[in-house]
Parts: sequence; C-alpha cells; structure tokens
Amino acid sequence: MLALLRPDSWNLPLFLHVFGAIVVFGATATLAIAGFASRRNAEHDALLARTIARAFILGVLPSWILMRIGAEWIRGKEFPGGADEPGWIGVGYIVSDGSALLLIVTGILAGLSARRGRVMLAVPILATICVLGFAVAWFAMSGKP
Amino acid sequence: MDLYQWLLALHVTGAFLLLGGGVVAAILNLTALGRERPSEIVLLFGLIRVAVASILIGSVLALVFGLWLVHEAGYGYGDGWVVAALVLFVLGNAMGGAGGRRDERTAVFARELATAGDAPSAELRARVHDPVSLALSYGSGLILVAILALMIWKPGT
Repeated sequence: MLALLRPDSWNLPLFLHVFGAIVVFGATATLAIAGFASRRNAEHDALLARTIARAFILGVLPSWILMRIGAEWIRGKEFPGGADEPGWIGVGYIVSDGSALLLIVTGILAGLSARRGRVMLAVPILATICVLGFAVAWFAMSGKP
Repeated sequence: MDLYQWLLALHVTGAFLLLGGGVVAAILNLTALGRERPSEIVLLFGLIRVAVASILIGSVLALVFGLWLVHEAGYGYGDGWVVAALVLFVLGNAMGGAGGRRDERTAVFARELATAGDAPSAELRARVHDPVSLALSYGSGLILVAILALMIWKPGT
C-alpha cells in the first residue's frame, strides 16, 4: 500500500489549508477573468471594477489568510520545530509570500479601479501571475517532488 | 516523482480547477443577483462560461486520476468513502448541470431583453433569483466541499 496514512489530528488543518487555497485560487481567477473582460466591455467597466474590488475584499483576502493559517497549523504538526523540512515546503512559502505582495498591490489597484470606474490593466495581469503561481504551489505541494 | 506522486498532483489539479471554477461561478452569480439591466446579466452569465470550462476539465481530471489513484494507492473501489465520494460526485454534477441549464435559459432571455432596449424586467429578476436554480447551483457547490472533506478524512480507513 503506497498511500500515506496521516494522524487524524492533521486532517482539519489540512482541510482548512486546501479549502482556503482553492477559494483564493478561484477568487483571484475571478479578478483576472473580470479584468480582461473589461477590455472588451467598456460599457460595463464600472460594474466589473466593483466586482473585482468586492471579490478581492470578500474572497481573496479572507481565503488567503485561511490558507496561510491552515498551512502554519499543519506545518507545526508535520514538522515540529521546523526540522528537516523538504523542498516542497519552501516552494509553498515562496508562492505564498510572493503572492501576498502581488495581491496587496492588486488589491490597491482594484480599489483605485473601483473608485475610477475603470479597471486598470495591471489588475488582471497581476492576478494571472498569482494564479499561475498558485498552480505551481499546488502541484509541488501535492506531488511533493 | 513516481507514478503515485504524478497521479496525486494531477488529481489535485483537477480538484482545484473543479472547485476553483465553482468559486468563480459563485462570485459572478452573486454579483448578478444584485443587477437589474439585462446586458449586465448577459455579461456576468457569459463570464460564468469560463468557470464552466474549468469545472468540466477539472471534473474529468479529478475523476480519472482519482479512480487511478484508488488502485495505485491500494484502496478498494468498494471502500465506503470512495463509494460515497463517487455518489456525491455524480449527484453534484447532475445538480450543477441542471442549475446551469436553467441559468443558460435565463441568459438567453436576458440577451433578448438587452437587444430590445435593455430595460430592467421583473420577469428577468425573478429568473435570476429563481430559488430552484440557486438551490441546484449552490447545493452542487456544497456537495463538492463535502467530497473534499471525504478525500482528506477518508472515514473508515
């Protein structure tokens, strides 16, 4: 049997981490989809700008925090004291910290876009970079190369 | 990476595309609930199609590589959590599909209104807020979250 059995106490933090990661992926993808759509739908630019700002505040922000809390919780159980951490943990941190910086900038630009009623092109571009980073992270953290 | 690691990574990729697509659809649908102009409904429901593509690709990846993983990892296809996950998967897809078809009819109606003056309509508002469509779509999403929990806890193992 190849499957790894993990202690039951790891399940809740793992669930919260994965659930948060999935929601932050979907919410960030929404910023990208709505942002690029605004280039072809100038008439509804203001609507899309507000949608992006709300998706950031109500979706991206809380789910990123949930993902990170779950990550720290499961890491503390799986690698107490931080000893002998494998490389895929490092990939997770690089993407997590890097996406935090990019998402903060994206959020500020999304807020400005909502106030101006026009989506800045940087918003969907930064959101797409984050989405690609999330894909690298989930592949590394599930495959554990 | 060995075969098990590849299968798990691809299975998880499917899960992210499936559930992440659901998140995109939910955000756009929630936005549509607060709009009145038909052209806005057309735009938002049109963008949901991108999410539907992600959901379809994710469903196939999650199912195919999930079933392969059951064999590769030494679990049984008759294990309770595997059977429960498959039943919920079929149910969730059926509910999501039914909700999606109702939304598609709403989008067609909204498109007709948009080309005929784009004035708000009580009928369109009622269709966008249709409780059956909302129950099917959001119920499908909750079922997918339940499957995620089953995949992590694997009760009975």
